[in-house]
Amino acid sequence: MWIVRLVSRRVALGVITLIALAAAVFFISTLVPGDPARVAAGENATADQIAAARENLGLDKPVIIQFFLYLGRLLHGDLGMSISTHSPVTEGLFDALPTTFELVLMSIILMLVVALPAATIAALRRGGAGDQALRTSAVFTAGIPTFWLALLVQFFIGGKLQILPLSGAVSRQYSVDRVTGFMLIDATISGGAEAGWDAFLHLLMPSAVLAVLFGAQLFRALRTEIIRVLAREHIAVARSKGVPPLTLVMHHVLPNSIGPAITILGVQFGMMVGSAVLVESIFALPGLGSYLTNAVGSADVNALLGAVLVTGLVVVTASLVVDLLQAVRDPRVRAAQNGGGR
Amino acid sequence: MTQTLPTSAPTVSRWRRPLTALAQIRGMDRVVAIVAVCLVILAVIGPYITPHDILDANIAQASKAPDASHWMGTDEQGRDVFSRVLAGARYSILGSIGVVIGFSLIGVLVAAIATVGGPVVDEVLMRITDAGLAVPSMVLSLALSAAMGPSLNSAMIAMIVTGWPYTARLLRTIMRETMVLPFVEGALIMGVTRRRLMIKHVIPNSLDVLIVKWAGDIGNTILVLGALSFLGVGAQPPSAEWGAMIASSQAYMSTAWWAAFAPGMAITITAVTFGLLGESLQVRLNPEVSGQFTRVGGKS
Repeated sequence: MWIVRLVSRRVALGVITLIALAAAVFFISTLVPGDPARVAAGENATADQIAAARENLGLDKPVIIQFFLYLGRLLHGDLGMSISTHSPVTEGLFDALPTTFELVLMSIILMLVVALPAATIAALRRGGAGDQALRTSAVFTAGIPTFWLALLVQFFIGGKLQILPLSGAVSRQYSVDRVTGFMLIDATISGGAEAGWDAFLHLLMPSAVLAVLFGAQLFRALRTEIIRVLAREHIAVARSKGVPPLTLVMHHVLPNSIGPAITILGVQFGMMVGSAVLVESIFALPGLGSYLTNAVGSADVNALLGAVLVTGLVVVTASLVVDLLQAVRDPRVRAAQNGGGR
Repeated sequence: MTQTLPTSAPTVSRWRRPLTALAQIRGMDRVVAIVAVCLVILAVIGPYITPHDILDANIAQASKAPDASHWMGTDEQGRDVFSRVLAGARYSILGSIGVVIGFSLIGVLVAAIATVGGPVVDEVLMRITDAGLAVPSMVLSLALSAAMGPSLNSAMIAMIVTGWPYTARLLRTIMRETMVLPFVEGALIMGVTRRRLMIKHVIPNSLDVLIVKWAGDIGNTILVLGALSFLGVGAQPPSAEWGAMIASSQAYMSTAWWAAFAPGMAITITAVTFGLLGESLQVRLNPEVSGQFTRVGGKS
C-alpha cells in the first residue's frame, strides 16, 4: 500500500503547486494591457456584445471570484481561445507537446550515450589528463548559448556542409498523417522506414544542440556521483578481491549511480523543455517552443499562459514519475519519502 | 555580580571572509578573476571606447568581412560589429548583474522570513517557491516579459520575478542549518530579537554561499537574458544587446555569419568566465560542499 500513499501524497503536493502557479499566471494575465472582454467578443463587437462577453467570462465579478472561475475553467481543460490561430489553446498545446517530448527524449539519449562513459572514465582517472580535459570542456560547453550554437550548427553543418537537413521535422516529399503526434513514429507508419529515417535525420541536429549544454551538466553531476560511489567500502572490498575493472564498473559502480542520475535527469527534463523553445524556433519544429514564440509574436496572452501552465504540469508530472521510479527501485528512498519529513 | 554581560556579539566584518578568499586566489583562478573584473569594467566603459558609432548604418559597407578597420566585420546594415559588441557589454553584463542582485534580495528575504516565521509561514512560502521552481524560468519569463510588453526592462523584471525561488530554496536550507548552531542558541538565550538575529547573525553567515552562487548566477543569467532578447521579448533592435544582435543578424548568416558569431562568442566568454569564477570561489569558500565535511558544527 505504500505506493498508494506515496502517489496520493505527491499528487496532492503537485496539485497545490499547480494552483499556486495558476495564481501566478492569473496575476500575469491581469498585467496585460487591454480589455479581455473586447478581445473575446471580437473586433466588430457592439457594446452589448462586449458586455455579454464580460458577463460570460465573469469579468464583472470581484477578482477573487474571477480567479476561482478561472480555476474551474482550467479543471475542464479550457485554456481559452488563441487569438492568433483561432483555435482552443488546449488543442494547440496538445498537438505541439509530442514534438517537444520527442526532441527532449532524443537529447536525453544522446546525453547519456556521451556523458555516461565520459563521466565514468573521468571518475576512474580522477585528476588525470583525460579528467582535466573532459572537465574543462564541460565548463566551456556549459557556457555556450544554446540559440547561438543552434544557429552556427545549422549554418555550417546544415547549410555549408549539407550533411544534415537544415530545418523542419520531415522532408516535403513525405506526406505524414498524424497518428501519435510523434514524428518518428508517424513518419514510419505513413512512409515506411525511409521516411522514418528522414525524420530521424531531421531530429538529429536539434537534439544534439540541446544535448550539449545539458550533457555538460549531466557529465559533471555523474562524475561527482561516481567518485562518491568509488570511495565506498564495497568497492574497496571488490577491488581487493581482484574483480576486473570492467566488471567493477558495470556491476558495482554504475548500478549504485543510477539513483542520483535519475534525479538529475528529472530536474533537467523540465529545464530542457524550457530550452527546447529556442531550439524549436530555430529548427522550425512544430513543438511547444514554436507555439510559444508564435504566441509572443502575436501577443497571444491565452496561448502564452496556457503554455506556461502546461509546461508546469509536465514538470510536476516528471518529478512525480522520478520520485516513483526511485521509490520502486530503492526501499530506502521509499522509507524516507513515506516518513513524512521533507 | 557587578560584571556586565556583553550586549552584542564581537564584530567581525561580514565581508572579511569572502574578500580574503578573493585576495588569496592564485594561478588559473586568478586569471579567471582578473578576466571577470575586466569584463565588468568593460561593461561600464564599453560604450565610450567604441571605434565607430554603433547606430551608424551604412548600406555601402554592409556585411563586410573582418578587416583592419572593422575588426569583427560589419553587420547587414553596415554597422561595426566590434563597436556594437563593446557597447552591448553594458546591457548584457550589467543587465545580468542587476537581475542577479534583484532576485538575490527577494530570495534572501523570502528565505529569512520562512526561517524565522514559524512552520505555517514556512510551508506557505515554500509552496510558492516550489510553484516557481516547477516552471522552467525561461518559459515563465518569456510569458511574463511578453505580457508586460517586450523590452530589456521587461525581460530583466521577468527574470527577477522568476529567478528568486532558486536562491530562496538554497538559502532556506543554509539558514536552517545555521539556526541550530550553538551561537544562535546563545543569541536567543541572551534575548536577541528574531529580526536582529536574522540581520546580524543568520544572513551574514549565509553570505559566503550567496557569493558563490552569484558568480554562477551571472553566467546563467547572461545566457537566459540573451535568449529572451533573441526570442524578441528582451532588448529590441537596434539595441546592441548581444542576444538582440544575434537575432537581427540571424537572417543574414549566409552572407555575414561573423555578425552573429561575435556577440555569441562574447556571451560564451562571459558565461564561461563567471562559471569558472563560481567554481573556484566554491572550492575556496565552501570546501565542505565538494567533500566529506558537513556544514553543521563546522567553523562557519
